[in-house]
Amino acid sequence: MPETRQATGPARAIHAVARALKVTAQALNATGTLVVLALVILINSDVVSRNLFNAPFKGTYEMVQFLMVMIVFLQLPDVIRINRLTRSDGFLAILADRRPGAARLCARVIDAASCVFMGLIAYAIWPELQRSWGAGSYFGTPGIFTAPYWPIHAAILVSSGLAAAIFATKAITGKRRPEHLHLEESGA
Amino acid sequence: MSPFEIGLISVVAMVALIYLGVYIPIALGLVSFVTIWILRDSFELPLALLKIAVGDSVTEYSFATIPLFTFMGLIVSRAGLGEDVYRVMNTVFHRILGGVGMATVGANALFAAVTGSSIASASVFTKVAVPEMMKLNYNKRFAVGVVAGSSVLGMIIPPSAMLIIYAIVAEQSVGHMFLAGVIPGLMLAAAYILAIWAMARLRPSFVVNQGAEQREPAGLLGLRDMVLLSLPLIGLVLTVLGGIYTGWLTPVEAGAAGAALGLVLAIARRRIDLKGFWNALLETGHITAAILFLITAASIYSRMLGIAGLPNALGDFLQTYQLGFTAVMVTLVVLMLFLGTLLDTASIILIVVPLFLPIVEPLGVSLVWFGIIVVIGAEIGLLTPPLGISCFVIKSTIDDPSITLKDVFLGALPFAAVMLCVLIVLIRFPILSTALLP
Repeated sequence: MPETRQATGPARAIHAVARALKVTAQALNATGTLVVLALVILINSDVVSRNLFNAPFKGTYEMVQFLMVMIVFLQLPDVIRINRLTRSDGFLAILADRRPGAARLCARVIDAASCVFMGLIAYAIWPELQRSWGAGSYFGTPGIFTAPYWPIHAAILVSSGLAAAIFATKAITGKRRPEHLHLEESGA
Repeated sequence: MSPFEIGLISVVAMVALIYLGVYIPIALGLVSFVTIWILRDSFELPLALLKIAVGDSVTEYSFATIPLFTFMGLIVSRAGLGEDVYRVMNTVFHRILGGVGMATVGANALFAAVTGSSIASASVFTKVAVPEMMKLNYNKRFAVGVVAGSSVLGMIIPPSAMLIIYAIVAEQSVGHMFLAGVIPGLMLAAAYILAIWAMARLRPSFVVNQGAEQREPAGLLGLRDMVLLSLPLIGLVLTVLGGIYTGWLTPVEAGAAGAALGLVLAIARRRIDLKGFWNALLETGHITAAILFLITAASIYSRMLGIAGLPNALGDFLQTYQLGFTAVMVTLVVLMLFLGTLLDTASIILIVVPLFLPIVEPLGVSLVWFGIIVVIGAEIGLLTPPLGISCFVIKSTIDDPSITLKDVFLGALPFAAVMLCVLIVLIRFPILSTALLP
C-alpha cells in the first residue's frame, strides 16, 4: 500500500489506549486461568477429604459458585479482545470478499452495538456494587459459610466496563477484517 | 401491536442479526433488552432483569461442570488416548471392507465417553484416521465423512457440554442428562457402523477407490496390547460415569476427578509440559467464559419470551388447531435443521429450548428425553453446509489440499441422514432415552 501511516495525535492515543486495555485484559485472564486451577484442586481436595477422612470441606458449594463467577468475568474481556466471542460470521466473510468496505462498516457497527450492551451491564450492576459494599450483604448459608457479595459485583463491573472499552476501540479502529468462525469458542 | 406480535418480530430480528454476524450473546441480550423496554414502556425493568441475569445466573453450582469437563477433554486429548483407542478398534475391525471407517466410529464412541466436545474428536481423528484410510486407498470423501459424522458422538455420549447446557436452561439434573445420553449415543454409533457396512456392500465405489486391493493395515495389536491400551480409558469412563451412576460423585465432582486422573495420565506418559498444561487451563477458561456469557444472555432472552407471552400463545395456537405432539416435534426438528445451517450447537439449544419448553411441558413428556432430542437435532447442524463446524475443523486440520470443504460436506451427508433417522426413532420411542434413569 503506497499510503504511509503517520500516526497522528488521536490515532496514537487510541493505540495507546488499546495497548493498555490489552495488558489489563491479559492480566485478568491469567488470574482467571489460575482460578480454573483452583477450582480443580478445591473440588478434588473435597472429594478426597470426604472419602478418606470423612471430613468434607465446609463451604465447597459456595466457593465453587464464587470461583465460577470469577472465571467467567475475569476471562470475558480477553475472550472479546481475541475475537472469540461466539458469532456466526459466514455472511461477513462473503461480504468481505465482494464489498470489503461494506463488511468493515458492518463489523464496526456490530462492535459499537456490543459496546452499548456491555455498557448497559456495567450501568445495571453499579448500584448493586454500591449496595453490597455499603451494606455488607453476604451469600451462602449463615452459620456454615458466607462470603461478601461485593467482590462478585466488582468483578462484573470491571469485566463489563473493560469489555465495553475493548469493543469501543474495535469499533473506532475497525482494523479487524471479518474472519472465519473461531472453532473452539463455543466448546462445540 | 400485541405483545405476541412484538415478541415474534424480536425473535425473527434476533435470528436475522445473528445471521448478519452479530455476536450471538449480544444479539440475544440487546434485542431482548429493547423488546422488554418496548413491551413494558420502562427502561428500569429491562435494566433490573439484566442485573439479575448477569449477577445470579452465573452463580450456579452445576455450571462448574463446564470448565471441569472441558479441561478433562483437553488434557485427555493431549495424553494421546484418542490414538490408542483408535489402534485398538482398528485391530478389531481390520478384516471387514470399510473396517477403518468402522474403527473410527468405534474409537470415537469410546473417546466421546471421556470428552465432551466434537471439536476435540474431529481434530484428533482427522490426524490419525484420515491418513490411514488414504493409504489403504479409501475414497477421500468417505474418509473425511466418517470422521465428521462420528465426531458428533463426542457431544451425545456423556460427558457432553451440550447435555450440560440443556440441563442448565431446562433446570434438569446434569447427572440424569448424562445417563440419558448413553443409549442414544451407542445407538447412533451402531447405526453408523451399520450404514458403513451397507455402503461397502451395496456401493463399494463410495467407500474404496476402484482397484483397491485388500491390504492389512499397519500397526495391528496383540491381545495383551489391546487390553493395556484400553485400560486407562476404561478406568476414566468407570470413574466418571460410574461415579455419577452410583451417586458416589456429583457431576461436578466427577468432572474434577476426571480432570485430575487425566492429568496424572498425561504426566505419567510425559505427554504434557508446563506450557501445555497452562494452555489447556487457558483454553478451558476461554471456552467457559464464552459459553457462560451465552447462557447469561439466553436467560435474558427467555425472560423476554415469558413477558411477551410467546410460548403460551404458541401453545394456544397448537391447541386451537388441534395440532398435537407430532406437529410440535416436526416444527422443532425443521427449525433446528434451519438454524443448524449457520449456528453452533450451543446457540441453537439456547434459542430453541426457552421457546419450546413451555409447549412440551404440558404434553406430559419427559424433559430429559426432550433434551436428548434437542441436543441431537441441533448437532445435525454440525454436518450441514454452509457452516458445519465439524466439517470446518476437519478441513483446517487436514494436510491435503486435494480434499476440499465440499468433499467433507458431501462425505458427511450420509451420516447426517443416519443421524436424522436415529433422531426420528428416538422421538418415536422415548424409553430409549429414559431407560437408564433411576
